Amino acid sequence: MASVTIRNVQKSYGALSVMKGVDIEIADGEFVILVGPSGCGKSTLLRMIAGLEDITDGDVLIGATVVNDIEPKARNIAMVFQNYALYPHMTVRENMAFALTLNRTDKAEIARRVDRAAEILSLGALLDRYPKQLSGGQRQRVAMGRAIVRDPQVFLFDEPLSNLDAKLRVQMRTEIKELHQRLKTTTIYVTHDQIEAMTMADRIVVMKEGGIEQIGTPLDLYDRPANLFVAGFIGSPGMNFFEGEAKGGQFVTTDGTVLPLPEGHQTLSGKIVYGIRPEHLTVDDVGVAIDVHVVEPTGPETQIFGKLGGQPIVVALREGPAVVPGETLSLTPRLDRIHLFDATSGRRLEVTTLGRAA
Amino acid sequence: MRPSLMKQVPLFIVLLLFCIVNLTPVAWGFLTSIRQPVDAFAVPPKLIFEPTFQFHWEIWVDKGFWRFLINTAIVSIFAVTISVSIGSMAAYALSRLQSKAANGLLFSLLAMRTFPHILLAIPFFVIAQALDMIDTYPAMVMAIVALNQPFTIWLMRSFFAEVPGELYDSAVMDGCTPWQTFRRVALPIVKPGLWVTVLFSLLLAYNEFLLALVLTRQGTKTMPVAIAEYGAEDITYWSLSAAAAIGIMLPILIFMLFMQRHLVRGMAAGAVKG
Ligand SMILES: Nc1ncnc2c1ncn2[C@@H]1O[C@H](COP(=O)(O)OP(=O)(O)O)[C@@H](O)[C@H]1O
Ligand SMILES: [Mg+2]
Repeated sequence: MASVTIRNVQKSYGALSVMKGVDIEIADGEFVILVGPSGCGKSTLLRMIAGLEDITDGDVLIGATVVNDIEPKARNIAMVFQNYALYPHMTVRENMAFALTLNRTDKAEIARRVDRAAEILSLGALLDRYPKQLSGGQRQRVAMGRAIVRDPQVFLFDEPLSNLDAKLRVQMRTEIKELHQRLKTTTIYVTHDQIEAMTMADRIVVMKEGGIEQIGTPLDLYDRPANLFVAGFIGSPGMNFFEGEAKGGQFVTTDGTVLPLPEGHQTLSGKIVYGIRPEHLTVDDVGVAIDVHVVEPTGPETQIFGKLGGQPIVVALREGPAVVPGETLSLTPRLDRIHLFDATSGRRLEVTTLGRAA
Repeated sequence: MRPSLMKQVPLFIVLLLFCIVNLTPVAWGFLTSIRQPVDAFAVPPKLIFEPTFQFHWEIWVDKGFWRFLINTAIVSIFAVTISVSIGSMAAYALSRLQSKAANGLLFSLLAMRTFPHILLAIPFFVIAQALDMIDTYPAMVMAIVALNQPFTIWLMRSFFAEVPGELYDSAVMDGCTPWQTFRRVALPIVKPGLWVTVLFSLLLAYNEFLLALVLTRQGTKTMPVAIAEYGAEDITYWSLSAAAAIGIMLPILIFMLFMQRHLVRGMAAGAVKG
């Protein structure tokens, strides 16, 4: 096990720069998730850590060692790929043993380690099968087994669950998390799915266009998104945003609806973006009225899609209110859950008393 | 999905006709080889005759054609071994390199295939003569390898191209050297394709006529030349020629029977999908 430090790492393909100065400190044993929309450079960063991709500039450290020029096999890292990348001509056992066979580990030791990994992942009955005789979830487990067997300093996962169906994905999510709690190996995990990130990570790195938008625990990102991008990316359904102006201790949307400002922000003035999560609106007779367009009960909550003035709004309510499309519903935002952003930079306007710089 | 019977029946008939058209000369050759020349050339064809393997015996044993078969076998085995090993290494490298130079190389290989054989046979003859290698096995083997290489490389490359790149990344992470990645990951995965390539280059080498005609003399003469030289003038020899021609088919047929399982897999499904 080891810490991983990414220091001002940059990547260019020829003249095309796809990563511009990324810094991340990952502690020993931590589970860090890189999340962001497709094409933002998550895989590229992971592959640079693995050694599969050259680092254009900056340093990657594992423990205290700069590994920029160390070949992948000497970095003592194991990687689980999106399409599992199992060798089709080898049995499960051979797949798991391959890395150890290559470095001439003692036969008995290989058998011991493969059996241990198989036991951890309940693969015992499948050891003599070939990958094509396995289901998607089983292949996924074998891919993980292959990583475990090597007992590496760092695990890398690149969207390992994206080929599984929804139910299996939830199950494997738990399994991977359990595995991490058991082995405590430093893990860097890439996904474009913010729910996966929120549920599994110790810390999340939100990326966009080759840069980092915010690093923090899942609740940091949820409670105090650093900017509009993170605010919109984390949470499902996504945060509601209203454009408008702060004046006279209130927020007025572009189409004239008035919303309350949180404590500490009453003196604010000028163009801002007002954000409130769907689950942080409460039914309240003295609130603002929204036009209800669609009502979707999901079971634990009811999602209501409508318009506040001219702007779209989503509301998630625990207690399904008795409204039907076409009616109006009166709502109030929870004052302690309002997020304000600078309209031009998109940066969070921090409530001073919370003391967290944006 | 299973094609419906309505679609299968016409397809079956077309394939059947195709087989009949292709197999008729072979069947005719076989019939010619087991009867007397007078019967073979009777008009109208004589359907009832006394079958005899006398000509098979005569050509292979009395006339010593087994020597030419051995020559053919030696040349083919060396040519296939060399051409498939070099070909798969080159194909692997070309499938992984995505540079302009690699593509240029591939297309020049393809261009080479379009040269008429005779255009290449003459320089090969001149070279072999200059090196005093006429009527030697290495000259034949090298010429055939040179001629087949574009084909083996293209064919093998198409199989390697199907191997997902993630497998190579995985091999690197597992600690494979470039050679191990080729030998222990890429090559075993394309094995069905490898057998297809072996078969096709075997057929090319085994049947090569023009090069054998210019490069071999009595010592290393191969079957196709030996048969062609034989009995073209006199119809009494035709039964013998037919016996020889039928005889050289056998080794290839046996090889195909043994390889059938691999071959069908390699040709039908592509080499990789599991
Ligand atoms: N070999 C390459 N050559 C040029 N551009 C590349 C190459 N690989 C990736 N990119 C570009 O780098 C960016 C990041 O890609 P990637 O790391 O795969 O994104 P992600 O994994 O977040 O979806 C993308 O814009 C992609 O087009
Ligand atoms: Mg990716």
